[in-house]
Amino acid sequence: MTSTPAVEDIVGSEYEHGFTTEIESDTLPPGLDEDVVRAISARKGEPEFMTEWRLKAYRHWLTMTPPNWADVDHPPIDFQAISYYSAPKRPEDGPKSLDEVDPALLETYEKLGIPIEEQKALAGVAVDAVFDSVSVATTFRETLAEAGVIFCSISEAVHAYPELVKQYLGSVVPHTDNYFACLNAAVFSDGTFVYIPEGVRCPMELSTYFRINARNTGQFERTLIVAEAGSYVSYLEGCTAPQRDENQLHAAVVELIALDDAEIKYSTVQNWYPGDAQGRGGIYNFVTKRGDCRGARSKISWTQVETGSAITWKYPSCLLRGEDAVGEFYSVAVTKGRQQADTGTKMIHIGPNTRSTIVSKGISAGEGRQTYRGLVRIGQRAANARNHTQCDSLLIGDRCTANTVPYIEVKHPSANMEHEATTSKISDDQLFYCRARGLSEEDAVSMIVNGFCKEVFNELPMEFAVEAQKLLSISLEGAVG
Amino acid sequence: MSGELATWLGAATPNGSPAWLEAWRTSARERATALGVPGSKQEAWRYTNPRRLFEQAFDEGAAVLAAEALAPLLVEGLEADRVVLVNGRYAPEHGRLGALPEGVRIDSLARLLAEDPEAVRPHLGALADDPAALFPALNAAGGADGLVVLLAPGARLERPLELLHVTTGERPTLAQPRHLIVLGEGAEARLVERYVGAEPSIAHATNAVLEIDLAAEARLDHERIQHDSAESFHLSTLYLHQQARSRYQGLNIGLGGRWARTDINTRFAGPGAECVLHGLYLSGDGQLIDYHLDVDHAVPDCTSVELFKGILYGQGRAVFDGRVFVAQDAQRTDAAMSNRNLMLSERAEIDTKPQLEINADDVKCSHGTTVGQIDPQMLFYLRARGIPEASARRMLCLGFAEEIIGRLGDEALRAEIAALVGDRLEAAPLD
Amino acid sequence: MLSVTGLRANVGDKEILRGLDLRIGPGEVHAIMGPNGSGKSTLAHVLSGREGYAVTGGTASFEGRDLLALEPEERAQLGLFLAFQYPVELPGVNNTYFLKSALNSIRKARGEDELDAVSFMRLIKEKLKVLHLDDSLLKRAVNAGFSGGEKKRNEIFQMALLEPKLAILDETDSGLDIDALRVVSEGVNALRSPERSMIVVTHYQRLLDYIEPDFVHVLYKGRIIRSGGKELALELEQHGYGWITDEGAAA
Repeated sequence: MTSTPAVEDIVGSEYEHGFTTEIESDTLPPGLDEDVVRAISARKGEPEFMTEWRLKAYRHWLTMTPPNWADVDHPPIDFQAISYYSAPKRPEDGPKSLDEVDPALLETYEKLGIPIEEQKALAGVAVDAVFDSVSVATTFRETLAEAGVIFCSISEAVHAYPELVKQYLGSVVPHTDNYFACLNAAVFSDGTFVYIPEGVRCPMELSTYFRINARNTGQFERTLIVAEAGSYVSYLEGCTAPQRDENQLHAAVVELIALDDAEIKYSTVQNWYPGDAQGRGGIYNFVTKRGDCRGARSKISWTQVETGSAITWKYPSCLLRGEDAVGEFYSVAVTKGRQQADTGTKMIHIGPNTRSTIVSKGISAGEGRQTYRGLVRIGQRAANARNHTQCDSLLIGDRCTANTVPYIEVKHPSANMEHEATTSKISDDQLFYCRARGLSEEDAVSMIVNGFCKEVFNELPMEFAVEAQKLLSISLEGAVG
Repeated sequence: MSGELATWLGAATPNGSPAWLEAWRTSARERATALGVPGSKQEAWRYTNPRRLFEQAFDEGAAVLAAEALAPLLVEGLEADRVVLVNGRYAPEHGRLGALPEGVRIDSLARLLAEDPEAVRPHLGALADDPAALFPALNAAGGADGLVVLLAPGARLERPLELLHVTTGERPTLAQPRHLIVLGEGAEARLVERYVGAEPSIAHATNAVLEIDLAAEARLDHERIQHDSAESFHLSTLYLHQQARSRYQGLNIGLGGRWARTDINTRFAGPGAECVLHGLYLSGDGQLIDYHLDVDHAVPDCTSVELFKGILYGQGRAVFDGRVFVAQDAQRTDAAMSNRNLMLSERAEIDTKPQLEINADDVKCSHGTTVGQIDPQMLFYLRARGIPEASARRMLCLGFAEEIIGRLGDEALRAEIAALVGDRLEAAPLD
Repeated sequence: MLSVTGLRANVGDKEILRGLDLRIGPGEVHAIMGPNGSGKSTLAHVLSGREGYAVTGGTASFEGRDLLALEPEERAQLGLFLAFQYPVELPGVNNTYFLKSALNSIRKARGEDELDAVSFMRLIKEKLKVLHLDDSLLKRAVNAGFSGGEKKRNEIFQMALLEPKLAILDETDSGLDIDALRVVSEGVNALRSPERSMIVVTHYQRLLDYIEPDFVHVLYKGRIIRSGGKELALELEQHGYGWITDEGAAA
């Protein structure tokens, strides 16, 4: 296709959330060895079992090599050049309320259009804001406490609920799982812990806004969500980041555990800094996300809208162990400029009557490079397992790439597996039709792309869906044509 | 490493061979030795471990087959010219070639290399150029013979040409034929390539390489029936090169062998060309059947269709790995890949990996994969008409296969394959 | 010929048939009418042995055999025929091959010899004419790419070929225009005989203008709440189901 200038404009839109917040940081010098691991553990005042857990992971990490199978290019990462701990300075006892939070931080949220107060007032969303590596603001604790829901930073959970942490941490993503998850286990800074007791429907949507801030600091988040039998929780994760010069490594681990009849809905909008037009300075996002449907009739649903990062390496997955368990993956990923994304999911059907759905919508513009990589495995005990996969790619411009690499492994005769994939561009006919009805080319592309992604947006909670659509339009703004 | 490859690397090139041939073989031998036996860590061999091939001793085997042993291997009613290879060697005594029209050359590779090497020099190894592929390198180093079909521009084969490949012997033999099929501009042919084994219980091995070069507007219909004996190992690697507006129609039937792997690499070199790859595989007890397709849309305005259907029963395993690659400027590419599997037993396994790699935006590319069972509604319909369950199941399996079998070029072949599939299903425990 | 007493059947947890009684003698044509969801198709499916229905009570005997204990093909071999409301497409399954397999397995069960190819083709061409169907049908796959009307005609054609003792026509009129309805009805009427019984399941009286029933039953909430002669169908046409179901609900 001959891409019109308008398309180029949209692809070339500046990163809207690119600004740096001036906050003093308490940061470890770059480098990684056992002492650094101990120092992280010590600063967080962790009990001995956590220190040992981290060291074990670190020692294993030394035996591993970085994965090279993903379809992404980047210079080798110098893990000794990264600082593994950075905490914003704060009053001695930490903030008791939002009034005590560093005003610069609050201002940052306001710039992003997500002021915490408004969130509280408007959406009834509890916000555990992670600024760099340490939680600095947590709201709605009381309401959640009444329901028996635990929603706190993982550092806090290590102290307050060591038994739960011991039982579940690393039980879905063991430190041996992969290179980045192993590194995370050794050096994770902070993250979120959610525990929904038996039979409880979490009274509000839980949300965390991530930002990466301190210069040259790797960010190693760790999230653990446990949904006891018959419980329900919807968790929202949204990310933006200030503009930066150097590549930043982000290697988060998210573990979800759903017991009998429990349901976890995990939604992500990711808009990290993608780098400049030459691809310099963007975030490297190497994330391990996995949900374990341990219980019968449990359900884990991943929804993601990925528009940011220079490199995304991410496969939110489901282990469908329990009978009748359900796994879902809905994804919109946009790559433009020099962005590279290798993303997808794994649906591992272990128990009988397990079902999974995969809907992946990839949009590649400019010189964007995108790969859907997915695995559907139906094991020998997974009688009557069902999977439906739909992978669609939309190409905008003639320099971009869209790859589809599905792996399908079936070992049970009663399995029903359907996989469909298409690759296409926005047709001139579609564009012309819209323009003949008076829409600008930009609006027309935005409308068509939003239509292309509708199935995924429908899965997002209302407020998030609006934000995601806006983000998509912004991402393609000037790229539209 | 070269120890386990020794049989495959074969003997030294015969004295008196041209220097270029000697050099080609030597370089293949070195490449194969350097590559070594691939393991399952290598993506191309993820689901198909070739190690067991190298744990077996093979003889070279004599190119001898009694006339009465040939008869049962023929397809009744197939109206075709025929050339026969026995253990990878041209066996003219079994052939049936009429007078060849002007511009058509059909001959043994070994004979041409000895008597008219310049005739094959431009084609030998010209397309089989993947430096990472072990088996084509072994074939180049250790293979000695094969079929050469050269059609001058505008030439046409009046009758289909059957290439019958027989493995035979009381001890396991290794055959490594290489076939060169070169069609000049506007030339047309139909080739029926069949692999059969004379003894069902001997684990013979075949490592065939085909290089098919289609000039502009040439047309080849190519039916490939792999019906090797039950214990055998079958490897075949096809390299296809298509110039502008040429048309290739390939139909692959995979029935035999204990361990069978077929690689098909196609590359478009001129616009407006079309490549159709159809396939049917039936994998039963202890069998592994693997098809790897690599379709390279290097230039604009080409069309490819890939449709492979599989039936798995007993402890049968199958692998389908298809890749469609669209190069950056290959605009207006139209590619549709599809893999459909019918799984009939608890112990069967299918691993399928249909990939698209798209670097151009004005394309129409899709792929679809299904794994499923016999539709209970269809089964009920047949039973409600009085047909017993087992027959009804077989009928539906044959119906599933019919979409591919029905595309075979003549009735004799269709009947033969339908009967083979039917017999296999008859004997299969359809649990 | 067919005797159903107190038949109860569930789909999942839902009880669809709730104690249904029906007796059909040789040569009789019974119409079963009822509003949507009354259990008409369920009855047809339970009698022909389709999976997905759990019989929870009652009996059904056919030609002195316990019908409910038989496999679907055994019922067919015994002479039961279901003309499907939605005949399934069987891509790749050749019609001639299918018909021959069905006919011969039924003949075999009856202790008759299998038909040779020549007599089979003669028989089949004769039956095709009755339904105004073209020879080309035989070369096609079963129902694949057939129009709605062709599928229904094909069902009746199969019935003509297999010569059942009891045919159940499940909403055979649905989706047919008036011309197709006439052809199908003529086909059915041509097959009426003193030995062959039929159950005509339908929502509308329309079909019964063409296929005249001996008895009409109204099925409602899984039971037959009214039986009568063909005049009952006309009354239903006039007054609607409400006229009778209100009574039935009251009872």
